[in-house]
Amino acid sequence: RARCPRGWRAGSGAGVLDVSGTGLAALGAELLELPRLRTLLAKNNRLGGPGALPKGLGQAPLARSLRVLNLSGNRFAELPAALLGLRGLQSLSLGSNRLHSIPPEIQALSSLEFLYLGGNFITSIPPELANLPSLSYLVLSDNKIQSIPPQLAQLHSLRSLSLHNNLLTYLPREILSLVHLEELSLRGNPLVVRFVRDLTYNPPSLLELAGRTMKTRNVPYASSDLPGNLVRYLSLASNCPNPKCGGVYFDSCVRQIKFVDFCGKYRLPLMHYLCSPECSSPCSSASQSSTSQSESDSEDEAIVAAHRMQKVLLG
Amino acid sequence: MEQLVQTEVWKAHTLQELIQILHRLFSDDKVSVEEVQALMESYESNAVEWMKYAQFDQYRYTRNLVDKGNGKFNLMILCWGEGHGSSIHDHTDSHCFMKILQGNLKETLFEWPGKKGTGAMTKKSERVLEENQCAYINDSIGLHRVENTSHTETAVSLHLYIPPFDSCNTFDQRTGHKHKVKMTFYSQFGERTPGATAVSQENN
Repeated sequence: RARCPRGWRAGSGAGVLDVSGTGLAALGAELLELPRLRTLLAKNNRLGGPGALPKGLGQAPLARSLRVLNLSGNRFAELPAALLGLRGLQSLSLGSNRLHSIPPEIQALSSLEFLYLGGNFITSIPPELANLPSLSYLVLSDNKIQSIPPQLAQLHSLRSLSLHNNLLTYLPREILSLVHLEELSLRGNPLVVRFVRDLTYNPPSLLELAGRTMKTRNVPYASSDLPGNLVRYLSLASNCPNPKCGGVYFDSCVRQIKFVDFCGKYRLPLMHYLCSPECSSPCSSASQSSTSQSESDSEDEAIVAAHRMQKVLLG
Repeated sequence: MEQLVQTEVWKAHTLQELIQILHRLFSDDKVSVEEVQALMESYESNAVEWMKYAQFDQYRYTRNLVDKGNGKFNLMILCWGEGHGSSIHDHTDSHCFMKILQGNLKETLFEWPGKKGTGAMTKKSERVLEENQCAYINDSIGLHRVENTSHTETAVSLHLYIPPFDSCNTFDQRTGHKHKVKMTFYSQFGERTPGATAVSQENN
C-alpha cells in the first residue's frame, strides 16, 4: 500500500536518506561518507542509547549539507550534543522521544526554522531558544511545560507555536508582541480547561511609597538633588495598566491573571501587574497617565492593553 | 414461497467509482445515512488515487476539494500534519462523513454549550479512528474536535458534506462562546488555490 509522506516530491532521491522504521539502534559511520546529504529521515527506530549517532558528525560533509533531520519516534532522553554541530540544519524533529529538557546550547543551530519537540517530557523552556533568529515553527505540544519564558517573544519570525496539552495556566504578556503569529494551539492546558486567579500582594516599603509619591505628584528633582541609587530607583517606575489609576509601582505590585484578546480569536490569560489591590482591570475610559515619567513600561503598552481588555469585557 | 428482499449494498473499488456512486445516490432525494456510511467504508484507501489532492501545509491542516457533487454535496480531502488539530466546531445543519485514508485521527465529541454560553464545555466521548473507518456527525449529535495526535505520522481523511457549507461556528472550550468562521480550500481538484486566508480562523 503506497504511503504518501508529507513533502514527497518526484525525483527527490538526490541527497535524501530514509531509514525510518528499520529498527536501527545506531546510525553507522557510513553516514559520515555521504557527500551531499540534505535530508535524513530516521524516525521510528530504536535510537537513543550511547553511540546512536556516529562519532565525528560535526566534521563530516553532512554537517554542512544537512538541512532536514527527523529523529521522531525514537528513545532519546536528551538532545544529542553531536547534533549541535549541524550548523546548516533548518528542520529538526525529535517528536515522541524521551526528552526531559532542551539544552540552552540549542541556540548553536542558528539556521533552524522548524523545531518539533512534541510528545516528550519537557518541563521547561530555556530562554536561549529565543536566540534562534529564523525559527518560524515551534512545536512543544504534549509535554509537561508549566510556563513560557517571556524571552520567547523575541522570536520575531515565529509563525506557528504549538503548545497544546501542557500544564500552562497563563502566558507571559510579552507574547502579545509576536505579531506574525498565525497559529497558536492552546487546547488541553489548564488555562483553557479552567483558569487560575492568583492575587498576591506584598505591601509597599517606605521607599516605594516615597517613590510613588514623587512620580504621581510630579515632584521635580535633578540628579544632583538625590543620591545616584535613588535617581536610578525612580527611573524604574512602571505604569499601572489600569488607566483610571494612572499610578506607578516599583517592586510592590499585585500579580493578576487577566484575559486578553489576541489575534481576534483567543482569550489569553496573561499576567498583569497592578499597583494595588484596589486597582481594577483597565476599562473603557482612555488612559489618563499621559504625564507619566516612566521609562520602563511604555505608555503605548498600557493603552494597547486597555483596548484589548475592552474587547474581553464586551465578550 | 418466501420473497428474498435484497438491499442494495454499494462497493466502491476506486475513488473515482466512489464519486460516481455518490452522484448516482444523490440524484435521488432520499438517501440514508447508513447507505452512505457503508459506501464510504467500502472504499479501500489507495494513495495513488488521491495523492494529487493530498497537499499538506506546514502549520495547519488543509482542505482540498475533490468534487462539488453538482451542488448537492462536497467531497474533500483533509491533510493533517503531525500534531495538527481542529477547533471544536459544528456542521451548519449538514451531514458530515469522515473516512480515514491514512494514519489515525482522534475525534472528541462535545455537548452543545448551555443557553447562556458560559462555562466550560462538556466532553461526551472520544475515539481514535483508524484507516478506512468512517465516522458520521450532524448538529443533532453534537460538536466535535478532530486531531492528529501522532508526532511521527501524518494523517489524511476524506470528508463528505451534504449539503455543502462554507462557514461554521468554532467554540471556545473554556467558555462555550462561539465564533463564526469562513472555511476555505487549500486546493481544488488538485490545483493549489492561493489567496485563501493566510491566517487560520480557528481557535484551538
